[in-house]
Amino acid sequence: MNEQDLKSMIENILTEMTDNSKKEDNSPAAVTASDSVESTESDEILDDITEIDLRKQFLVPHPHDREGYLKMKSFTPARLGMWRCGSRYKTASVLRFRADHAAAQDAVFSDVNPEIPKSMGFVMTQTTCKTKDEYLTRPDHGRKFSDDMAEKIRTNTEKSPKIQMVVGDGLSSAAIEANVREIIPAIKQGLKVYGLDFDEKNVIYVKYCRVGAEDHIGEITNADVVCLLVGERPGLVTAKSMSAYIAYKPTMGMPEARRTVVSNIHDGGLPAVEAGAYIAELLDKMVRLKKSGIDLKAVENETK
Amino acid sequence: MKDDTILSVGIDLGTSTTQLVLSRLTIKNFASAFSVPRINISKKEVIYKSDIIFTPLLNQQTIDAEAIKRFVAEQYDKAHIDKQNIQMGAVIITGETARKDNANLVTEALSGYAGDFVVATAGPDLESIIAGKGAGTNVASKESRHHTANIDVGGGTSNLVVFDGDDVLDTACFDIGGRLIKIDRNTQKITYISPKVIKLIAALDLPISEGTKVTPSTLKPIIQVLVHVLENSVGIGERNPYYDMFITNHGLRLDYKIPALTFSGGVADCLQEELPTDIFRYGDIGLLLGNALRHSAIFTQKKIIHSLETIRATVVGAGSHTTDVSGSTISYTTGILPIRNLPILKMARQDENRDVNNLATSIAEKINWYRVQNELNNVVLAFNGLKNPHYSDIQRYAAGIVDGAAVLINKHEPLIILVHEDMAKALGHSLFARLPQHYPFICIDSVKVENGDYIDLGEPIAEGSVLPVIVKTLIFG
Repeated sequence: MNEQDLKSMIENILTEMTDNSKKEDNSPAAVTASDSVESTESDEILDDITEIDLRKQFLVPHPHDREGYLKMKSFTPARLGMWRCGSRYKTASVLRFRADHAAAQDAVFSDVNPEIPKSMGFVMTQTTCKTKDEYLTRPDHGRKFSDDMAEKIRTNTEKSPKIQMVVGDGLSSAAIEANVREIIPAIKQGLKVYGLDFDEKNVIYVKYCRVGAEDHIGEITNADVVCLLVGERPGLVTAKSMSAYIAYKPTMGMPEARRTVVSNIHDGGLPAVEAGAYIAELLDKMVRLKKSGIDLKAVENETK
Repeated sequence: MKDDTILSVGIDLGTSTTQLVLSRLTIKNFASAFSVPRINISKKEVIYKSDIIFTPLLNQQTIDAEAIKRFVAEQYDKAHIDKQNIQMGAVIITGETARKDNANLVTEALSGYAGDFVVATAGPDLESIIAGKGAGTNVASKESRHHTANIDVGGGTSNLVVFDGDDVLDTACFDIGGRLIKIDRNTQKITYISPKVIKLIAALDLPISEGTKVTPSTLKPIIQVLVHVLENSVGIGERNPYYDMFITNHGLRLDYKIPALTFSGGVADCLQEELPTDIFRYGDIGLLLGNALRHSAIFTQKKIIHSLETIRATVVGAGSHTTDVSGSTISYTTGILPIRNLPILKMARQDENRDVNNLATSIAEKINWYRVQNELNNVVLAFNGLKNPHYSDIQRYAAGIVDGAAVLINKHEPLIILVHEDMAKALGHSLFARLPQHYPFICIDSVKVENGDYIDLGEPIAEGSVLPVIVKTLIFG
């Protein structure tokens, strides 16, 4: 459904409602109209308003320069040109805003479908957080594993690998569900170009994961490079954005400057497979230069 | 971090004048230091403009290649530039001298000179686009957010281009220029008339031929037709009966509005309100044409925007605006760059969506089209690609490409892949896995090409993360 259809649909509903209330008592025509509204129950499903591309949705009725406005809109995901009804947003805009906000909330509060990491053969782990509430209110608990869990990681992964891959839910389950099946094989394929590899059954999946969890994993596995793919805090533009936090020999409490980040991995940003290919090259660089974060940049600038 | 620069040369061998510019293009990473690089050209500066000389001709159609060679050597010398330092560039032959034999002559003379560039005869469409970019018409269109046209009125042709921002909307070319009639400045006698003007004179039944002594008023009927056709060309006035005759290849479609215009080319310097006293100072009708254009309906009905370049628009366009850079996540093997003048084989979108076998078959079929007298030279395979590809899509593309290009791979031609969407690094990795060991390949993205285009790829820049690219659009529309 395009914006025009949606607009006319909403307009029809609104006029029908006002007409009915006005004429209810004295006009038989109105009664039949209201009857027909009640009786037409159809199996049709309303079109999904989140399908509308916001960059192309333009509700200003008589724009001075439609093309120019649309061109400006093409550069930003901001909700420009949504027009108004009196002093308020139009119904379509309000519904869309609430839908996007709900998607962001859902991404935070729902869990990653456990079948996805399981089916990929990952080692299933959880930080010391017991519940979502604890995870959200106690970031420090999301950076540590219990001794039992640490033991599980130790026994199920290779010792001192060159590369330890980690996938964590972070603040968006939707990001992991959308991207992880695409990015893992892309990283694997890319690493082969550089003579590196990892095995899916050594990839650690972390529930209730904060970025710092990779530091604990670095200490447990003694890996050269730890690469954590984690769901980012969702916004209204996308709930599916994932990042990779990569560090050479991470240790708990190390400065954040030692992490290299690849962010904005989602279908409207950096495509997951292309991000995977880029991450593979980064991993090779870190294994070779034994550095990450600002230190890596410094070495690169020196050798230039 | 210091920004990289590319030294680029542009040489324009036009109907009447030849010039050269050297430009410095600055390459900058627009992303922050810790993000995925986003490398683009941040600045284009013309650092040297040559003298403008009359194109040395052996006869009306043949370029004196030796004289060109001397000119180029002289200008490099004046600019204190070593030819080894020039990385990219375009040598184009435009207007009436744009013929294949001329290109070959100049290529031979300049081999090892201009910086090892293949000399291209710019079709009228490419010339129009280059001139428009040199004139800054695309910038004007971007700023005003209106379609803006450029008319480059040169010696032999008028090249039109219409921009919608940076996008080329349409091009056209007419055989109208300042040197359609050449006149001896001292005797005021005609020394040359272009073939189409001879036809026009016959049709108008004018007492004018080579050797005739002329004045502005005797030439007026001819100038009027030329100006009228140019008015028509941007959609003003009733079609002149000679409109079709003066079309070089095609006119504008005109299914859109053109509120504003720029002028470039030599005649753009002659758009004066008053005629100067020495009317045949340049030995041609340029001043008359410019003056008539100034009083034409184009100036009353359209907004005329000042162009950045006039007579140098084409050469500045060739030097500064032909080079672009690839996307920043790409993959390639070292040792095969630079690559010059390879034809593009662009796959249709519906073929791209097919399964591996069908994709391979259609690639193989199309490669076969490029077989000339049973000889197969390398081609660049170009794809639209997918906006957010799945890993399985990447595998499908790679398998289809490697199977379909078997004939090239057996000949050990480097495999060169262009994709429009951002997916080249992943695709390159997948190709690497499927190609024989150490097989040379290049896989880059964010380059938009069409069938019939040719492409140059330069040595990697910005720490090897991007390749400079020149797309030569020889066919348009």
